Amino acid sequence: MAKVLIPTPLRQFTAKQDSVIAPGATVGEVLASLTTQFPDLRKQLFTDEGKVRSFVNVYLNDEDIRYIGKDAAPTADGDTLSLVPSIAGGAR
Amino acid sequence: MIRIETEPWAAMVAHAQASYPNECCGAMLGTTVSTPDGDTKVVHEAIALQNAFEGAQAARYELRPEDLLASDKAARERHMDLIGIYHSHPDCDAYFSTTDLQNSCPWYSFVVLSIQNGVFHHANSWLPNFDQTEAAKEELTY
Repeated sequence: MAKVLIPTPLRQFTAKQDSVIAPGATVGEVLASLTTQFPDLRKQLFTDEGKVRSFVNVYLNDEDIRYIGKDAAPTADGDTLSLVPSIAGGAR
Repeated sequence: MIRIETEPWAAMVAHAQASYPNECCGAMLGTTVSTPDGDTKVVHEAIALQNAFEGAQAARYELRPEDLLASDKAARERHMDLIGIYHSHPDCDAYFSTTDLQNSCPWYSFVVLSIQNGVFHHANSWLPNFDQTEAAKEELTY
């Protein structure tokens, strides 16, 4: 089980909650239960193929899950998941 | 619509001008006010972030996700929201380029400041879509 912090623009899909407690023993399970509770969130976070969208990074506490086992990273009670976008750009 | 208060706006312009001829980038924290005409995002604070692009920064910027995470935490602690991202276009107009679009996120407003010869010239705000194929111009006041 973990607390998922919901970015402001996504709170319209979580009944205005700024965080959601979601069950699951891994990051993947937590995200799956989150989007089961709030199905409209699924399109925001996942592609039609079920992959996390390219602009979404997931942090377990302060660690990027890409470096700690990705979806399989284990979660414990009291952990916090954050959804952080990848952003870059430039004039040319 | 997005409205940037005087103090954060001055900080954003100063950051963009100080970074010239390179691009700068940062986060905008604020609140959303509902009116009969719709919601208005009001920026109360701008946080200057490091341009992490590894290469020539005159026409590119990159935000570190951990810096955005810290900005989001700061917003929550101050009872505000992370509502937008800003960056500068040195010696270019404040359009939303293909590079901007392909590396955007539909969750936030993107304010672009045009800096011409080191001095602020004009700005626009953009709302990119999900598929990173289009960005709508958002009404911006400051």
